[in-house]
Amino acid sequence: MRPRFRMLLLLFLAIPALLTVDSAVAADKRLNVVSTLPNFGSIASAIAGDRIDLTVIASGTQDAHFVDPKPSYIVKLRKADLLLVNGLDLEIGWVPPLIQGARTARLMPGGAGYVDCSTGVRVVEIPLNLSRTEGDVHPYGNPHYLTDPLNAEIVSGTIAEALKKADPAGAQAYEDGRKAFVRRLHEALFGKDLVDLAGGAKLSREAMAGTLDAFLDGTSVGGSTLRSHLGGWLGKMQAVKGKPVVTYHKDYSYFAERFGIRVVEFVEPKPGISPSAKHLEELLTRLKQGDVTSILTRPYVEHRSTDYLAERTSVKVLTLPIEVGGAAEATDYFKLFDYTTDQMVRALSGGPSAAGR
Amino acid sequence: MRSSVSILAVMIFLGPGLYAAPDPPTAEDVAALRREVEDLKRQIQTLRDQLRAGILPDQGPATATPPAEASPVSPAPAPTAPALPGAGGNAPTRVQSLLNPAMSAVLLAIGTTSLKRESDANGFDLSEGEIALQSAVDPYTRVDLFLSFPSGETPEVEEGYISTLALPGPLQLKGGRFKNAFGKWNGLHTHAFFSVDRPNALVNFFGEESLATDGFSLSVLIPNPWDQYIDLFTEVGSALEGTSFNNDRRNLTYLEHLAWFFNTGPNSTLELGLSAARGRAGGSEALFQAIDDCGAGCAGLVPRGELQSAVNGVDLTYKWKPVRMNVYKSFLWQTEALKSRRHLDVLTNPLTTPSLDPQIVEASGGYSHIEWQFAKRWRVGSRYDWSGFPDDDRASERAISAVVRFLPSEFQEIRLQYKRTSRNDEAALRFDGERDDSQIFFQWIPVIGAHGAHKY
Repeated sequence: MRPRFRMLLLLFLAIPALLTVDSAVAADKRLNVVSTLPNFGSIASAIAGDRIDLTVIASGTQDAHFVDPKPSYIVKLRKADLLLVNGLDLEIGWVPPLIQGARTARLMPGGAGYVDCSTGVRVVEIPLNLSRTEGDVHPYGNPHYLTDPLNAEIVSGTIAEALKKADPAGAQAYEDGRKAFVRRLHEALFGKDLVDLAGGAKLSREAMAGTLDAFLDGTSVGGSTLRSHLGGWLGKMQAVKGKPVVTYHKDYSYFAERFGIRVVEFVEPKPGISPSAKHLEELLTRLKQGDVTSILTRPYVEHRSTDYLAERTSVKVLTLPIEVGGAAEATDYFKLFDYTTDQMVRALSGGPSAAGR
Repeated sequence: MRSSVSILAVMIFLGPGLYAAPDPPTAEDVAALRREVEDLKRQIQTLRDQLRAGILPDQGPATATPPAEASPVSPAPAPTAPALPGAGGNAPTRVQSLLNPAMSAVLLAIGTTSLKRESDANGFDLSEGEIALQSAVDPYTRVDLFLSFPSGETPEVEEGYISTLALPGPLQLKGGRFKNAFGKWNGLHTHAFFSVDRPNALVNFFGEESLATDGFSLSVLIPNPWDQYIDLFTEVGSALEGTSFNNDRRNLTYLEHLAWFFNTGPNSTLELGLSAARGRAGGSEALFQAIDDCGAGCAGLVPRGELQSAVNGVDLTYKWKPVRMNVYKSFLWQTEALKSRRHLDVLTNPLTTPSLDPQIVEASGGYSHIEWQFAKRWRVGSRYDWSGFPDDDRASERAISAVVRFLPSEFQEIRLQYKRTSRNDEAALRFDGERDDSQIFFQWIPVIGAHGAHKY
């Protein structure tokens, strides 16, 4: 009998104490934002600056599909006003247990604090037929949408709206932050010159509709076409437009679409499936055609297969980050693309590359 | 628009002219003016072109985009896009499955061979099929149901519980049938084991299945100044058929479990757990067997049925996984130690004057398991078992195992285990008198369907 009472007593004593501590935490004024991945964290902090306390769960060198749901993250989630997730089932293996562990209604899908950053993004590669014979398929489509900087514009809108709702007093600051972010993003992508001439919103619309090239070539301003004013990441990448590459995982789809590189093969035979010897032999045959000069890989995947291919061909292996922090140079979302496009142009146009291994 | 541009241009033209009037212009002034005029002409031409092309330059961040829009660029919506929470609003193919519970099935195909003992367990067997149905009920609760279809036995509810999603504060309540939060291994389903078999101590103390109860479980996340994860579980219910606790409804089993989790670095974690279970137990199987064996002399002996039984445990788990290459390498070291204290009737002098004497039996046991993942799909492990028996403080056994696990994908696993067990004489009596035994296990486990993510 005695242990029974002792346990119940302990429990009843504990509950009120715990509830008090919980509400004491809520007294802090700054918005507590937890981001599953570094890119969303970078965008949020560009918009909100010092108005938020930001915690990012995964590191930039980590494979976002396979982060461990450590209980210490649950403690961080419990304090969060907003949880920014990639969505599209990218974090299906680790975010659901964290959310359930945090036992907070606002962070559940559909709750006020749950921010699915894929909202409004035009998702590609939505499988018509779901079967695991296709490897680790993402039923909602390719989740690596932030590899297209224009999707960051949509994401910045989603995040800003969530921030405004959670902290109405800062609404104007968040709106200004978002506009400044979008302006900077347009200038970084198209070049300041072109944005001054044609307007970022117009360029963004044309690019989203896939008619940017026609627009740039068909519009002349001051005696020259708009294309001659194209700068930024897109301008830089013109030099390697149409070049074929092999990528390790199927995570360049949005990037390739935006910047016009061609992904002709994958080192993984199917998403998430390790390459077999047979698949590597097939790749070797493909690479020996000579048109592909680079294999694009990620910091968190094995090197054996890519080294094997590189040793037997003249193909270079280029390890590029997909997330902020994935390389020392990629300190924020802008630097991520500065670095990626620099490296890619250097590698694909035949120059030496720092990221090559 | 055009006229205002012209007026502007005229004013700009006139401006410097008027200014210059008092002094006759020098040749340099004229040249400078010409350059300025050319420059302005170009600017006017650019403005005209922009007007014609329907584009307007951004005037800085303040008016770059319509303020009301949530996302400044609204791409054409995907073919059908019912905005589903958490679905990204883009996946018509999954609407149906969002309303159904997440379903998955696990098969456990097992092959066992004992090199010494003749046992029914030897041979190949589809030992178990398991079906899991998991879904949120409403915004407040979710249900997890695991149906087990053991080969040759009646299907049963292995676990089936409703749990709250958002009680106020750091509380989570669970009700139904569930594996108890005793240590680390007890809560695992067979397909999540590190080896084919269950550690000897858990089998001896709780039975062939995990310690499980029909009842309630309350978990409290204890806030603390170090921001560490400290989870306290309190569970009450009637235990399912097992070894240490009665499963009749009058005798509830109580359990406390404390899990304390530390990050020991970016790549490693340590978890410390303390567990205590209290309940009532009657005579053990071995006792009934002994009464049977002694025949007529023991005819009137009936062991008491509701005696105190307690099991305490401590567990320690160290996990290492590099942040950068987390899919390819990992290390795990998990140790649990259990101690039971049980009031028991013991048969004394079975040959002369048989009687049942009350005794307190203390027994301890545990295991220590290490596992090294050396490639994406390969893990090797080893486990050391030591265990007494909660109804006989003289019996004990030890075992050492070597395990190889091959996981072709996230959804399939093949396990091979070699296990060598040695027992003292008292323990050997329970195993056809065999003091030692070597076993080889093989297990093939596929998982199909939407199998929920496992806890850390």
